[in-house]
Amino acid sequence: MTDLSLNYEVLSKFLVYFIKEEVQSNKFNKVVLGLSGGLDSAVVAYLSAEALGKENVIGILMPYKLSSPDSLNDALLIAKKIGIKHETFEITDIVDQYFKKINTTDKMRIGNFLSRVRMSILFDRTREYDAIVMGTGNKSEIMLGYTTWYGDMAAGLYPIGDLYKTQVFELAKFMKIPEKILNKPPSADLWPGQKDEDELGAVYRELDSVLYLYIDERKSMEEIISLGHSKKLVQNVIRRVNSTQFKRTIPPVAKFSARTLGIDFLYPHDMGR
Amino acid sequence: MHSKGGKNLHYKIALAQINPVLGDIEKNLLKHEEFTKKAIKEKADLIVFPELSMTGYKLGDLTMEVALPYESDFFKPLLTLGKHIDIVLGFVERGKDKNSYNSAMYISEGRVKSVYEKLYPPTHGMFDELRFVARGKEIKTFDTKIGKVSMLICRDIFHPSLMFLAYASNADIVLVLSNMPLRGLKGEKPAIQETVEKAIDTYTNFFGMFVAYVNRVGFDDGLGFFGGSFVCTPSGRKLAYAGLFDEALTFAEIDSEEIFKKRQTFPLLREEDMNIVKLNFDKILEDSYD
Repeated sequence: MTDLSLNYEVLSKFLVYFIKEEVQSNKFNKVVLGLSGGLDSAVVAYLSAEALGKENVIGILMPYKLSSPDSLNDALLIAKKIGIKHETFEITDIVDQYFKKINTTDKMRIGNFLSRVRMSILFDRTREYDAIVMGTGNKSEIMLGYTTWYGDMAAGLYPIGDLYKTQVFELAKFMKIPEKILNKPPSADLWPGQKDEDELGAVYRELDSVLYLYIDERKSMEEIISLGHSKKLVQNVIRRVNSTQFKRTIPPVAKFSARTLGIDFLYPHDMGR
Repeated sequence: MHSKGGKNLHYKIALAQINPVLGDIEKNLLKHEEFTKKAIKEKADLIVFPELSMTGYKLGDLTMEVALPYESDFFKPLLTLGKHIDIVLGFVERGKDKNSYNSAMYISEGRVKSVYEKLYPPTHGMFDELRFVARGKEIKTFDTKIGKVSMLICRDIFHPSLMFLAYASNADIVLVLSNMPLRGLKGEKPAIQETVEKAIDTYTNFFGMFVAYVNRVGFDDGLGFFGGSFVCTPSGRKLAYAGLFDEALTFAEIDSEEIFKKRQTFPLLREEDMNIVKLNFDKILEDSYD
């Protein structure tokens, strides 16, 4: 298996500096983030509290009627452990109101809707707190496109967006995040029993090795297979990465003017902080 | 400051490891003044700021908007302070040839003594410099009160040919202004920091000169600059180290006698035959057109 180890001491420091400075560059002092009870949002909450002070981090818990009760309890555990302000908004009525009119059993469709409702609430809360939304996505899910476009992907900053899931796990261990959070199987919890590794068809350690070889080392499909990864897995990972690039770019603009967003209107994001 | 010419020089250099505000030259000018005043108070002879210290790095389309001719009145407050201390800073130069450059300016005795335009602005992967600036053409080595000085900018130091040219012009010290983004976090130090330190270790050891490396800190659009500024002696010894990630004003005392000693015990430049280098190099160039 590929070596994905990192110096977590320097990394955590680097991420804390990143949050401190980039939140400020965006002209905010506070951040809002969705606390799901999972590992990624726990790590981002810990890092944010360290960077900005716990009084400047607001965790929002948004359970749906089918969410696992463990998720809510674990999110509360994290909020209390760090000592950040937290709010709970149950989204069942909003979601069910809509799906009363739309007759579907498509889990993906309902899952995406949940994700986008949560996004709407997070962005609405930022108005109240004068805060920016922290993204909690990791590199594995972003690269695999295992995310909801304009749902959980919508955020002002991606502090762990360059960390594969197994690296997030190691960072969480280094940061002494409660065992209970570390030990549960990764899940988007959009429907009962949903598990990342079932849906993605492999464990993260393996997915991350393939992703690393393909993305960071630019190895070809054949090269990755020759290193001992199953053909089916490698094909699946590469297909996922390539077919979800649209989620990671600005949509094409029909360019005809002298300067066009996404093409040649190239101001930095952090200008004029 | 003691003696001049071929004689021994003792001087104090200040490494200004700052975090500039992207695109805000007014705020950055104030920061330059603040750091320079502190360095004057500490009786430093020279203060070195990082690459693009006046503007920040990831400028994109802001490049032309923050470009300044080196004679601009904007620099006046620093020219005034420059009567008490030599100042080296990075800026976007609005060139006489109507190009923009990623440049370094050496201020001494209240005037601009030299301007160096970065020779190798990187343009690949996360780097996009040549989209916005032109390439410089000339290595500049010039006499100052601290001896013969060359300036190089960031990527330049990964081209041994440029370090060699500074060496060939008998530089005592190479001032490296840098905006090196962090990458590689496996080892004890960031991988890119290891690379820089190893390169400068080797250069100083074989070229028998000092190198002062000044890298910025802070973030521009997610690119994190690690700092880690230091001075390296002609025997590859680190004289001062500014640490990772935080702004710092770090001082190093330099004794130029070390250059003389090193070049007596390891007289590589004396051995070096520039004509042989030139003949061979001309031949390589000629052959490459065959």
